[in-house]
Amino acid sequence: MAEIRQIAIYGKGGIGKSTTTQNLTAGLTELGRKVLVVGCDPKADSTRLLLGSLAQRTVLDSMRETGDNVTLESIMKVGYQGIKCVESGGPEPGVGCAGRGIITSIGLLERLGAYTEELNFVFYDVLGDVVCGGFAMPIREGKAKEIYIVASGEMMALYAANNIAKGIQRYALKGGVRLGGIICNSRNVDREIELLRAFSEELGTQLIYFVPRDNIVQHAEIRRKTVLEFKPDSSQAEEYRKLAKRIDENTHFVIPKPMTQERLEAILLQYGLMDILDNYKI
Amino acid sequence: MNKFVDRPRFSCALGGALFTLRALTRAIPIIHASAGCGYNLYTAGNAGAGYLGGGYCGGTGWSSSNVVEREVVFGGSDRLSEQIRSTLELIDGDLFVVVTGCMVEMIGDDIGSVLDEFANEDVPVIAVSTPSFKGNSCDGYDMLLGGLFSDYVRRDAEKRTDTVNLLGLVPGQDAFYKGNLTEIRRLLERLGLRVNTFFGEGETLENLKNASEASLNIVLSDVYGVGAAGVFEKTHGTPYISLPLPVGAVQTSQFLREAADALNLPRDAVERVIKDEEARYYDYLERIADIYNDVDLQRYAVVVGDLNYAPAVSRFVADELGWLPRLAVVTDDLDEGEIRRVEKRFTGWESDVSPLVRFDTDTSSVRRYLQEAWRPGNNERYYDSLSPLFLIGSVFERDLAASLGVPLLTVSFPVTNRIVLNQSYAGYKGGLGLTSDLLSTLIAGR
Repeated sequence: MAEIRQIAIYGKGGIGKSTTTQNLTAGLTELGRKVLVVGCDPKADSTRLLLGSLAQRTVLDSMRETGDNVTLESIMKVGYQGIKCVESGGPEPGVGCAGRGIITSIGLLERLGAYTEELNFVFYDVLGDVVCGGFAMPIREGKAKEIYIVASGEMMALYAANNIAKGIQRYALKGGVRLGGIICNSRNVDREIELLRAFSEELGTQLIYFVPRDNIVQHAEIRRKTVLEFKPDSSQAEEYRKLAKRIDENTHFVIPKPMTQERLEAILLQYGLMDILDNYKI
Repeated sequence: MNKFVDRPRFSCALGGALFTLRALTRAIPIIHASAGCGYNLYTAGNAGAGYLGGGYCGGTGWSSSNVVEREVVFGGSDRLSEQIRSTLELIDGDLFVVVTGCMVEMIGDDIGSVLDEFANEDVPVIAVSTPSFKGNSCDGYDMLLGGLFSDYVRRDAEKRTDTVNLLGLVPGQDAFYKGNLTEIRRLLERLGLRVNTFFGEGETLENLKNASEASLNIVLSDVYGVGAAGVFEKTHGTPYISLPLPVGAVQTSQFLREAADALNLPRDAVERVIKDEEARYYDYLERIADIYNDVDLQRYAVVVGDLNYAPAVSRFVADELGWLPRLAVVTDDLDEGEIRRVEKRFTGWESDVSPLVRFDTDTSSVRRYLQEAWRPGNNERYYDSLSPLFLIGSVFERDLAASLGVPLLTVSFPVTNRIVLNQSYAGYKGGLGLTSDLLSTLIAGR
């Protein structure tokens, strides 16, 4: 029995982590893979497209209501193509400790035996930046060993990605976690693919896939569907299938080499600003 | 608070705040912290302070929100609100103070908005943030008093030139705080002053509430209480002076002169009080002239204690008992400025003696400094040993005293080997008490 590949997806808030993760996992099921998606965002919206709705009860909701008497059935829903979905959930905005919530709910999932042997992949969809120890929980010892960072050619996305790489490096030096690559969720900015390639190379990793921008993603989202479910024949669905294949076959795992702010800005200057002085159209 | 390696001589900020509240009559703490904080702090603080006890509705009866994982994740506000409500229902107090532990401070519980619910209660409910990652028990004393000065003490009081407040003795951390405050208050009252010590004999919360009448705050410490005095000055416009804790006649007479000068009291009246007090003091002290010389009670001394006690006791044994303090270890974790202030207290003594002064929080360091202060013997035929020696410190010095074969008197936290009631080491009476305790140890076999 092959080991379950546990994968954490990080990236700047709003970059499209959840959308990418759900379409990617939908693609993996077409390759015959069994997948569990664990949403690690207090907003609990990481599995909406797979379930066709927001998960009714998060792990932490259940824990709050029933104490330790949480059952796996009450928190794990099965969505599109048999993908198992769990939302960690979290406190109301502005109170409590969402980071501890992640630690608590992942611990609870393990105790409840959510990581069954037939699974090929577990995906942790983690909110925004690695702001504290709690949000690094999925990449600590014994959890996700692979990380993908979703980024785009926008400056702040790359700042965030570099910052996340620092968090990965910290845990990579102590444990087995490795960076599997950068997924570009395109924003159609200038020379985006070159910039992302250069950025990935500088980090010591690869641009594992460039997902082009396509409005069909928004149309699918409004209907609470992945693109693969909404328009399986579309070119965008094909892109996600290719992304899934790349991830499935990926063997390039590294300890990232985060860059200094100056170096990052130099790369941005080199790829992001040249030859566009008179063209600000996006 | 980041340097301790072994046997810290302070508890945490929450502990300092709790024992300060324990010393305030009918003030009831409500602990917003994890389960265990209250109990642990009580057992440590009680024994360390010569068995201070929990007082009225205190100790193991302290009200605590006992937050668990659920509150950590979702916030502890509801739990706190429930705890305040039930405490108000069950405990008959005159002031309720929410004090916070590290965990709820880490998750950032909004205590202020919880307290808004209790704004119209018959008794005041206030909150003071006392996270222990911000400091030790002495810092907790400052945080708590700062909070009380801001939120409880009257703001509309008229200043009275004859009124002062005493700060700087941390209840519990100073096992003798009550006896000490009583003695200093007695002396200041002899100068015609009204004195609030907040924690002294017969005092109530009224003394605290009306503390803003004071025209001067006297801080009996170079560090403890200084922060709270700063808050007081800002909130109520009362300035403060910082004077060292006086032990014995020499230091106490100096203290009275400096305090009187700061208050512009007529010098001759002060001198009359000093003369009278010294006459009484030396009337007792001269009793021991014979025994002191007959059996030779002069000793070398090593003093280990907090920044209030270490200089005061070292100076006392040098200036008044004719002893030879060779080493003083100040056990607080201090910044450079504080170290310089405390170091000054080891200079300008009447005896012109000056011990080696070291600042170190670790108990095991004392032995090392002793070797620095006095060259160890090397099996020479003639070696001038540091003997006879007396060790004055805390119970943590017990092993050192035993290995050196010297007597030990515990005066600084923790003092678990004594029952401390109204004893005082401050003032004239305290000097006599300390003399009696030190010398009794030496003649115990007679």
